[in-house]
Amino acid sequence: MPKQQNDTTGNSAIANDIILKVADLRVSFRAYGGRVQAVRGISFDLKRGETVAIVGESGSGKSVSVKTVMGILPGNAIIESGEVRYGGMDLTKVSEEKFHEIRGNRIGLIFQDPLSALNPIMKIGKQITETLRLAKKMSGEEARAKAIELMAAVHIPDPQRRFNQYPFQFSGGMRQRIVIAIALAGDPEILICDEPTTALDVTVQSKILELINEIKRERHLSVIFITHDLGVVANMADRVNVMYAGKIVEAGTTEEIFFSPAHPYTWALLSSMPDLQTKERLQAIPGAPPNMIYPPAGDAFARRNPYALKIDMEKEPPYFRLSDTHYAATWLAHPKAPKVEMPAVLRARIDRMKRSGMLNG
Amino acid sequence: MLKYILGRFGAMLLTLFLVMTLSFLIIRLMPMSLFENPEVDPVIQKLLEAEMHLDKPMVVQYYYFVKGIVTEGDFGRSVKIRPGMEVFKVLASKIRPTVLLNVLSLVIAIPLGIIAGTVAALRNNKLTDTIISFLVVIFISVPSFVFASLLQYAFTFLWPLFPTLYDPAAPNLAATLHSLAMPIIALALNPIATIARYLRGELIETMSSEYLLLARTKGLTRAQATVRHAFRNSLVPIFNAIIPLITAIMGGSMVVEKIFAVPGIGGQLIESILAGDHFLTVAGLIYYSAVSLATILIVDISYGLIDPRIRVGGTK
Repeated sequence: MPKQQNDTTGNSAIANDIILKVADLRVSFRAYGGRVQAVRGISFDLKRGETVAIVGESGSGKSVSVKTVMGILPGNAIIESGEVRYGGMDLTKVSEEKFHEIRGNRIGLIFQDPLSALNPIMKIGKQITETLRLAKKMSGEEARAKAIELMAAVHIPDPQRRFNQYPFQFSGGMRQRIVIAIALAGDPEILICDEPTTALDVTVQSKILELINEIKRERHLSVIFITHDLGVVANMADRVNVMYAGKIVEAGTTEEIFFSPAHPYTWALLSSMPDLQTKERLQAIPGAPPNMIYPPAGDAFARRNPYALKIDMEKEPPYFRLSDTHYAATWLAHPKAPKVEMPAVLRARIDRMKRSGMLNG
Repeated sequence: MLKYILGRFGAMLLTLFLVMTLSFLIIRLMPMSLFENPEVDPVIQKLLEAEMHLDKPMVVQYYYFVKGIVTEGDFGRSVKIRPGMEVFKVLASKIRPTVLLNVLSLVIAIPLGIIAGTVAALRNNKLTDTIISFLVVIFISVPSFVFASLLQYAFTFLWPLFPTLYDPAAPNLAATLHSLAMPIIALALNPIATIARYLRGELIETMSSEYLLLARTKGLTRAQATVRHAFRNSLVPIFNAIIPLITAIMGGSMVVEKIFAVPGIGGQLIESILAGDHFLTVAGLIYYSAVSLATILIVDISYGLIDPRIRVGGTK
């Protein structure tokens, strides 16, 4: 993984800029068949004020990574090694008794499915104020005022009236706004969004994404954005980590990932994004992710990868440095590797993206 | 909310009426006549039958039966068990021990069931949970009269801590309760187990729900999240389980009352069925359905209070 400490020694300002640092994190689950190696040594940094995306398909370990950061792993999870540095602490070692002071107050989380994330029989207002009353010892009036202010900030119309309503009286998009308001209630400095738009329909999606960008700017948040949808990433993230089978296979700025992807898995993800211009059949990724009880040797993606080299099957590729910010774990990036070009369809698509300037930068 | 309650109340009255009609018809169609006593003069017998409209067709009998209830609150008179006494009074004289027995069984069952279920859920798949779940299966599958007999044998004969039978002449409430302890426990075991089983399942499910996770990620401690979110939400479906519990307690009470010689409505009902005291039987049946329906009504109303989705009329 990129060793960003190298350039930090001479510049302490940049070092201080890193608000959260995940280093060589390994998480497994005890299951009936054996140990499922969900996360196999990932490292990434979150700098103050930026949005880092973690992209990957279901089961790639992206949610497990953020659950580790939040300290909400289920009981059968084992943190095998690694650390999560935040505010001078290693979050993997913080006890449950201490962790609830960090959750909500320092790090907030937005869930995937707003329909099931809210308590169905508790008033919206109470769900927002609960943590203010219990953790911050606010008075009822103060908490109510703050909750209404938060509801207005996430653009809930008529917050005074909505305050006393129940989740079933809200639409999916409105519930996600409430979930965001709850996450913001403790004034966290890091916001983790775990597929915040997956359960919503497309028109609502873009509004929620806009809202996340807006509150990020207004509240100077640092955001970890989890998604399986590269299309969403383009407008949200400053940097992207592409995850596959519990590892980060490629990391770079959003521009680097979109315009000069190096790992065949990133190619495959970019090719399988539907768009209006591509005339050819949409490229699907063949096969299924590997069984993580027995992760394959070499590059885990090699067996689904038409460009795989023989060595990809045998030896795990290290991170090859492509630029100061761009790293890819594939033997194709080795200087001695045969020159393999990305698929022509993807090349054409990237050229189109460059021309239309679809990236946020 | 008022509309909801009125609707429920109307449905309850309709059900009660149907139960009343059905039990009247079934009991009256039974072969046993009210007056099969050879010692009674046939002339007097005819007169009595005429007075009670028993010589008329069934439909007319039913008319008088309903008319008596609606206009005078008269459910008829007992003819065999307490000849000449109004059935209402017969039942009233028996109601105290039955109500004491049934209500107390439920009152001790609810908290104990909730505690057992919660402990089992929090210790999910650990030894405590296994022990509780094992007992739950036994208490649910073995009928209450078996426990009644076992308890009677163990605690009134082997270790005589309690009186063998109910003491109707007990000088005070404490003494009454002392003699009722065994039947109360025998009746409470099944409800305890039922509540524990339901609550355990519900709690385990809510504990793994997304909103509980959200409650924790917003900064509540595990205990706060469990009590404020998991527990209250799990109690909602438990309310539904209380309806069959009450009928189970009343049903079990019939036999358990016999075992401990409790002079209650349960024993009375069996006696009147065997004796062919039809008016008394019908009144007893009406009592049972009225109590069950009242329970359902109370549960439905409290459901509305607990679950806003019912109160406000939402769907999801």
